[in-house]
Amino acid sequence: MRALTANRLVDGEVVFWNHGRWVERFAEAQLFGESDAAAAEAAEGHAKTQTTIVVEPYLIDLVESGEVWAPLSYRERLRALGPTNRHDHGKQTEGGAVVEALLHASGAARSKGRVDLIKRK
Amino acid sequence: MPTLIKLEAGRFTRAEDPFTSVGDDQELPPGDVIISLTRFQNDGERLLGQGRALGVRLEPAEEAAALAYDLPRIAVVALAFPGYRDGRAYTSARVLRERYGFKGEVRAVGDVLREQAQFMVRCGFDAFEPADGATPEEWAAAAARFRHVYQRAADSRAPAFAEREE
Amino acid sequence: MYRYDAIDREFLTDRANEFRSQVVRRLAGEITEDQFKPLRLMNGLYLQLHAYMLRIAIPYGSLDSRQLRKLAEIARTYDKGYGHFTTRTNLQFHWIKLADAPDILDHLASVDMHAIQTSGNCIRNVTADPFSGATPEEIDDPRVWSEAIRQWSSLHPEFSFLPRKFKIAITASAKDRTAARVHDIGLAIKRDRSGALGFEVMVGGGLGATPYVGPTIREFLPASRLLSYLEAILRVYNRLGRRDNRTKARIKILVASLGAEEFARKVEAEWEAIGPGSDLPDTELARIRAAFAPTAFETLPARSTAFEEAKGTNPAFARFVRNNVKPHKAPGYAIVEVSLKAIGATPGDASAEQMEVVADLAERYGQNDIRVTHEQNLVLPHVKQDDLPTVYAALAAVDLATPNINLISDIIACPGLDYCALANARAIPVAQHIAERFADQDRAELIGELKIKISGCINACGHHHVGHIGILGVDKKGEEFYQLTLGGSGAEDASVGKVLGPALPANKVAEAIDAMVDVYLSQRQEGERFLDTLRRTGAAPFKEAVYADAH
Repeated sequence: MRALTANRLVDGEVVFWNHGRWVERFAEAQLFGESDAAAAEAAEGHAKTQTTIVVEPYLIDLVESGEVWAPLSYRERLRALGPTNRHDHGKQTEGGAVVEALLHASGAARSKGRVDLIKRK
Repeated sequence: MPTLIKLEAGRFTRAEDPFTSVGDDQELPPGDVIISLTRFQNDGERLLGQGRALGVRLEPAEEAAALAYDLPRIAVVALAFPGYRDGRAYTSARVLRERYGFKGEVRAVGDVLREQAQFMVRCGFDAFEPADGATPEEWAAAAARFRHVYQRAADSRAPAFAEREE
Repeated sequence: MYRYDAIDREFLTDRANEFRSQVVRRLAGEITEDQFKPLRLMNGLYLQLHAYMLRIAIPYGSLDSRQLRKLAEIARTYDKGYGHFTTRTNLQFHWIKLADAPDILDHLASVDMHAIQTSGNCIRNVTADPFSGATPEEIDDPRVWSEAIRQWSSLHPEFSFLPRKFKIAITASAKDRTAARVHDIGLAIKRDRSGALGFEVMVGGGLGATPYVGPTIREFLPASRLLSYLEAILRVYNRLGRRDNRTKARIKILVASLGAEEFARKVEAEWEAIGPGSDLPDTELARIRAAFAPTAFETLPARSTAFEEAKGTNPAFARFVRNNVKPHKAPGYAIVEVSLKAIGATPGDASAEQMEVVADLAERYGQNDIRVTHEQNLVLPHVKQDDLPTVYAALAAVDLATPNINLISDIIACPGLDYCALANARAIPVAQHIAERFADQDRAELIGELKIKISGCINACGHHHVGHIGILGVDKKGEEFYQLTLGGSGAEDASVGKVLGPALPANKVAEAIDAMVDVYLSQRQEGERFLDTLRRTGAAPFKEAVYADAH
C-alpha cells in the first residue's frame, strides 16, 4: 500500500495527495493498493507538474499497524506526526485515532520512497 | 532573433552576433567563428591568417592560461557554464581580465541565468547568451541590484572600503 | 562590537529586496525549483522535514541585546517561540514558511542581521573564539579578522559557485575553542619572532564522510596579506576541486589528493600572481579594529567580596561558578557561560523568553555583548564578579544555569531525524537520555571534562568525529542504530575519533556510555580527563566494557 506526499511550496507543510487535492492530515491521504499502481504513478506524474504548489512529490510505502495504514519508515512517520522531542509541535497535536495509531505503530523497514531520496542525493 | 546581450559603456543592449559557434567536427562556415580550444590549438594560426575574427570557447576545466600568448589576436573568449552551478568560468573571466589584461569580448555561454548577472559582470564578462530568455533590461536590472560591493574584482566598482575613504 | 554603517545597511536592504523578488518569481513559476534552490540556500533557507528551516547568520558568534531580542520576536511571530543554536554559531528556526522569509529578512536587516551565505556552495559564516576580547589568553582579537573576511566573502563574484561549501574558523589563543583544525581553512593567530602579527594557515580539515585534520600549508602569513592569500586558496579550490562527485568535492579531498606540499605550492604561485590587490588597506583594518576596541572596564579589585560570600553560602552558585564561569582579563570581571543543555532539554534550543532574559542580562550586566559557541551554548563575556550572583539567579529562573559546561551532559547534538531531511536517525532523544542518566551533578563533576557529540547522519553537523565520545546515527534496516567513536578532539590537540565497534540500538547507547565512564573512573590517573585516559590505555578496555554482553 502506498501514499503520495510532498511539501507545500508556500510554507513547507507536509501534505498528502487525495484525489487531485492536497491534504495536511495523513488520515485523509489517498491510499494506493497494488492494483492501483497505474493510478499511483499517474498521480505522482501529475503532482510533479504542480511546480508552484508542491516541491518534490514522491510515493511512500505503508505498512499495516493495527487497523490503520502507517508509513513504513521512521522518516515518513515523523513527517506525518511531527518531531519526537516536542509533542506539542506539528501534526501530532491534533490527536485523533490515526495520529494515535501512528504514534504507536510497529514494524519499520526501508520505505521505497526514502530509498529513492537517498539515491537522489 | 539575436540572443546575445552585450555590455558596453555600462549599458546592456541586444546585439547581433557576428560569430558562429562551430563544433569540432563541423565544417567551418565563412566569417567569424568561435571554436574550441583544441581546434584553436590545432588550426588557429591558419584561420587567423584567413583574416577571420576568431573566438575561442573554454570549457570549465580548460584554463585561461592556455590562451595567454594568443590573446592579443583573439576577439572573443567564450566561457562555458555547462550548468549554472559550475563556477569555474568566474575564475577564468577574472584571470583573463586582471592577469592577462584581455580587452576583447568575454562571453558567457551555456546555462546563463539572470540571477547570476551581477557575479558575471563583476568577473569581467561583457557578453551573455542568456538561457532563460532574459531581455537586456532584465539583465541590467539583475546586475544592478546591489549599490555596494565588498571586494575588488575585474570590474571597476570601488569596494566598500574604498567608498569609505572618500 | 562592529557597528554597521550606511554601506553595510544598504547591502542588507539590497539583499533582502533581491530575495523578495526571487521568492515572488518562484511562487509565480517564473523560475524553477532547481534554479531557485541555490538562491534560497544562499539566504539560509532549507526545505526540511516539517517546514522550511531558516539559518540566520551570527557572524563570529557575536550578538548584542537588540539583536537577540529581535531573534526572540521572530521566533514568536514566525516560528514556534524558540530557536536552535548550531555548531557554526548560527541560529536556526525550524518552522518557517517560504512566504514569510522575505519579511523575516527585512526584520533582520533592521537590526543589522541577515542570512547571507549560511548555506550553498559558497563561503559560510566565519567562526571565532567566543571569548574574544575577554580572555587573557588571546594574541589578537579574532573578530577583527572575522569581520574583514565576512565582508570580503559576501557575494564574492568569483566564489559563489564553488564545488562545495566552504567554512573558515579563527582561533586566537593556545586553547582552540573553534575546532579550527577541522575546518576548510583554520587560521591560528600568531606572532613571529619579531612580534609581527600573522596567521598559521591550515587547509583541508573537515568532518563528514571523510574526516581530516587540516595540515598547515603556511606557518606564518603576515596579517596584512590575509585576504589575498585566502583569494589564492579559494581560486585554486574553485579551479581544481572536484565537481563530478558531491562526496569528493570539499577542499579536504583536493588537499589530500595533491598532498599538502603540492597544494601549498599551487597556492603560493597563485598568491604571487594575485599580488596585494585584494588586501585591505591599513585604514580599513584600523576602522574595523577600532570597532572592537577593548571595552571600557571599570577598575575593580581582583576579588569581589559579594562574589566570594555568595560562593561560600550558596553551594549551587559555587557549583555554577566552578563549571560555567571562566577568568577574565580585566580584574574583577568574569566570563559567564550560559548552558543551553538543561537536563532533558533539546541541546542548543532557547525559547524566546530565555533569549530575552539573556538579552536583558547582557544589557544590564554584560556590556550588551553576547556570544554563541560552536558547542551550542551562549556566553556573556563581560560580567562583573559583583554581579555574578544576580546574573546566576536570573539565569537559573529560566533554566539557563545548568552547571554542566564541558561536562558529560553538555552534549552537542544536531537536530537529526526529528527535523532534518538529510538525517538517518534521531540525535535529540539520544542526547536527552544520556543527560538524564548523568543528571546527578556530583557524578558529572567527578567525571570531569567529557565531550559527547551526536550526529544524526554522516554529514556530521553534530561534530561527532571530534567528540571524546562521538555518536553517529545510522539506519540499519530501517531501525535507528548508533555507532560510537572514541578519542576525537576539536581543540588544539585535534584528532578524529575511531569507531569502537558495531553500531548499537538506541536503547543501549546510554548504558554503553555509562560502562565507558566506569572504565575511565577505574583507570584514570592523577589529572587525567576521559580523553587523556583513553589516549593512554587505548580503546580496548572501553570496547570490552561496551560489548561485554556479546561474550
